Amino acid sequence: MQLASSPPMLRAAGLTMTYPNGVVALSGLTVDVPPGSVGLVGANGAGKTTLFRLMLGLMRPTQGVLEVAGHRVDADPIAVRSRLGYMPEHDCLPLDQTAADVVSSFGELAGLPARAARQRASDVLDLVGLDEARFRPVGGFSTGMRQRTKLAQALVADPELVLLDEPTAGLDPLGREEMLELVGRLNGFGISAILATHLLDDVQRVCQNVVMVDRGHLVLAGPIDQLMQTTGYMRVEVGGRDDAVAVLAQALAAKDVSTTPVDAHHIDVDTQVHGDVTFDIVRDAVADLGLRLYAVSTRHRSLDDVFLQEAYR
Amino acid sequence: MTALHQAAAGAVYDRGYRPYTGPRGGRSESTLALWRLSVRRALGLRRSWRQKVFPWSLLGLATIPAIVNVGVGWAIRNNPVEMADFAFITYREYVGVSTILILFVALTAPDVVCPDRAQRVLPLLFSRPLTGVDYVVAKVGAIAFIVFGFSFLPQVVLFVGQMLVNKDGALSYFTDHAEVLWQVPISVALLAIYYAAIGVALASLTDRRIVGGVAILGTAFVTTAVGGILVDASQGDGSPLAWISIFFVPLDLRDLVFLGHLHPVDSGLSGVNGGGLIAILAYSGFLLAAIAVLLYRYREVDL
Repeated sequence: MQLASSPPMLRAAGLTMTYPNGVVALSGLTVDVPPGSVGLVGANGAGKTTLFRLMLGLMRPTQGVLEVAGHRVDADPIAVRSRLGYMPEHDCLPLDQTAADVVSSFGELAGLPARAARQRASDVLDLVGLDEARFRPVGGFSTGMRQRTKLAQALVADPELVLLDEPTAGLDPLGREEMLELVGRLNGFGISAILATHLLDDVQRVCQNVVMVDRGHLVLAGPIDQLMQTTGYMRVEVGGRDDAVAVLAQALAAKDVSTTPVDAHHIDVDTQVHGDVTFDIVRDAVADLGLRLYAVSTRHRSLDDVFLQEAYR
Repeated sequence: MTALHQAAAGAVYDRGYRPYTGPRGGRSESTLALWRLSVRRALGLRRSWRQKVFPWSLLGLATIPAIVNVGVGWAIRNNPVEMADFAFITYREYVGVSTILILFVALTAPDVVCPDRAQRVLPLLFSRPLTGVDYVVAKVGAIAFIVFGFSFLPQVVLFVGQMLVNKDGALSYFTDHAEVLWQVPISVALLAIYYAAIGVALASLTDRRIVGGVAILGTAFVTTAVGGILVDASQGDGSPLAWISIFFVPLDLRDLVFLGHLHPVDSGLSGVNGGGLIAILAYSGFLLAAIAVLLYRYREVDL
């Protein structure tokens, strides 16, 4: 499935990963992900972490091809890793070191000269709002500050793509807002991001594209705006007859428009087949039947609705 | 408002994000960086004073014999001839200040590897341009470098000091002892690589520093005790199983470097047919086993 026409940041073709114990973590995943912010969505065990492991070249897929930033991961995992930043979900920071030391160390480990790494560490800690806490040991940091430090170490080498594994996990509402705001700014810095999460709200807020996986299979992939439009429906409120909803449903069915009655006055009309023309069809049907049209509201499903519908249909 | 007034009033600038356009190293630079960070950590650099006390105290302790030797040599420099070539400790014996070195390895080897696993730093490290082999090279290299330094620097103090206090002149001492210029670095390097590999391998088997340290000291103590019992039981003939004293094996190689044969008193393999070969095989075997353990432990990481 192709998300956009621009050169993909991530390309998977028939990607399958079966663990030695027989568990199939990914099954024939084929998707092209363009640069930008992408949400990788799925429940626990969906295959998100396995995909990250494969992208980092920490394991080899059982089958299929995976390219990151134009490089085949199996052919040159080192080249891929030098273009990636990674922010794990779990605690992963040396607790007895200061934030400045941690971030500059990971800059050096990414291949930056020591002096440049220290300068970059200062810059990115400033960026994530830890400028005043940079010389404090990470062990004394709050969860939010540790998350910021993790993000800073992922950004310190100015990667092309950063892999964010549940970046808002464990954060309070304010911390979550601030983290999402930071993640949302990455695209403006020229850094693509893949945000692995099961919180669809987070994806809807900061990502342009979404890839949904479930039990190792691709469920859906595409630009979020497009998905919301093409999977939307409108709610129509009608009156003038006791059976207004029933007759309207019948009339629309005759014109190949599917509907779902909500109550005596409301009916949901699917806009997937006819798009914006559906509005005209509804208007004409209401007029022909002599009904009263009280309201038409365009309703978009949330990403949760889309995921549930696509994953379990 | 003029520009001068604006500057005087101060201003807040959003510097935004500045992309990095400078040079980037590859795998070797990342490995070197990990080595450098590990050396720094083991020596307590950029850490609290408490982390510095132990390694630097050990270096001081390791240097004391050299200082005493040079000091006594200077004090008796005008004494009769038979006292002039005073040697409190020889270069060969100095390679074997192994108790201090084993103590050092027991403290620092777990400190440079255990927290990486316990605090789950490994996934971050391996998301950089590093492989498991690079990790092992950097960590073993760091400990080996420090053990080499702690073993070699006192020898330098001893050599330079002896040159300066020698009654026949520095040049005379230099030419008389020129062979130690290659014997010392080679035997010290053999010892440092071996201790570092064994120490880091044992430490890699656990997440807890204290357990790693106890494992190293315990291995040294138990194997030395068993080796000692075997040698004692041989009633002076040496035991072909004396190589079981795992931390004393490099001292046999030291003797091969310095003497060309095993030391008749110090080596438990002395008197055993092919004792030198057994020592070399034991050294190689333990070293390869340690490297195999390390490569297995760091063959992959969980995210």
